[in-house]
Amino acid sequence: MKKSDEQIAREAKALFDASVDELDAATLSTLNQGRHRALEAAQSPRGELLRWVPAAGIAAAVLVGVMVSLPGSGTIEVMPSTVADMELLLGEDSLDMFEELEFYSVLDVMDQGDDVS
Amino acid sequence: MNTETATYAVSWVSEQSTGTRALQQEQQLNRFLAEVERRALRIAEIGVRDRDDALDLVQDAMIKLARKYGDRSSAEWAPLFYRILQNGVRDWHRRQAVRNRVMVWFGRGASGDDEYDIVAAAPDPSGRSPDEELQNSEAMVSLEAAVHALPARQREAFMLRTFEGLNVAGTATAMGCSQGSVKTHYSRAIHSLRETLGEHGPQGSEDG
Repeated sequence: MKKSDEQIAREAKALFDASVDELDAATLSTLNQGRHRALEAAQSPRGELLRWVPAAGIAAAVLVGVMVSLPGSGTIEVMPSTVADMELLLGEDSLDMFEELEFYSVLDVMDQGDDVS
Repeated sequence: MNTETATYAVSWVSEQSTGTRALQQEQQLNRFLAEVERRALRIAEIGVRDRDDALDLVQDAMIKLARKYGDRSSAEWAPLFYRILQNGVRDWHRRQAVRNRVMVWFGRGASGDDEYDIVAAAPDPSGRSPDEELQNSEAMVSLEAAVHALPARQREAFMLRTFEGLNVAGTATAMGCSQGSVKTHYSRAIHSLRETLGEHGPQGSEDG
């Protein structure tokens, strides 16, 4: 007799739970250490100064770029897209992004060719 | 009591209260992570088929949750945690795709899944008869392979709903999609699993 969706899900869950219960001691120890690292990280976030260094550098570069691109203009106009870029750069993930800039540029090229679901 | 003393007293009580709240929040977060970490590891492991990488992904998700959302209410943590973890798994797959392309360029074909010995990575036996253990182990290997073979979104919906027990709304938050999409992905996943595993579905020792 064909099983219902609920039965299949229940049995899959039982198997999964059994595999969770059987994790070895070394793995559990690693998980425990990782959890404590996470709690420590929550108490001591990355240095604020360090966090702003790359963002400040890019912000300065963008500002210079805007100034150069608008010769003869008495005032500096910051375009909406530039503002959006600045928000992105000044976000919390700025360091991660800079560390993996090359990776994301490759992804960008890939995404243009592939439709990743 | 003069005004200055009263102000100091109020300030001190306020600081103590804030400190107590922070400590309680940290203890709550510790309990949440301890409760969720093993299932999260297995879910990540099914997604990437590598325990070491899964451990890294889980730790990364725990750190990001603690840093960015540690002050949120505990009810929000599970969907947020799994959203971070699922993003990590997706990034892992993208990196693998890039790495495999590079390896192909250099004439070294990606071996990927072939290197993963699912039997060797299976959990250590404990508390069951050898027959039951073997039956469960084989059933779990089949189930794990079948779940891994699902399209990514179906796999996420199935694992979050079935293995982690998130409701539709929580799963939608974790997957960053609508509740309707979750229901569709989940339904298709169950349908695919039934076809892959046979109409009788997964069969461990619990099933007789």
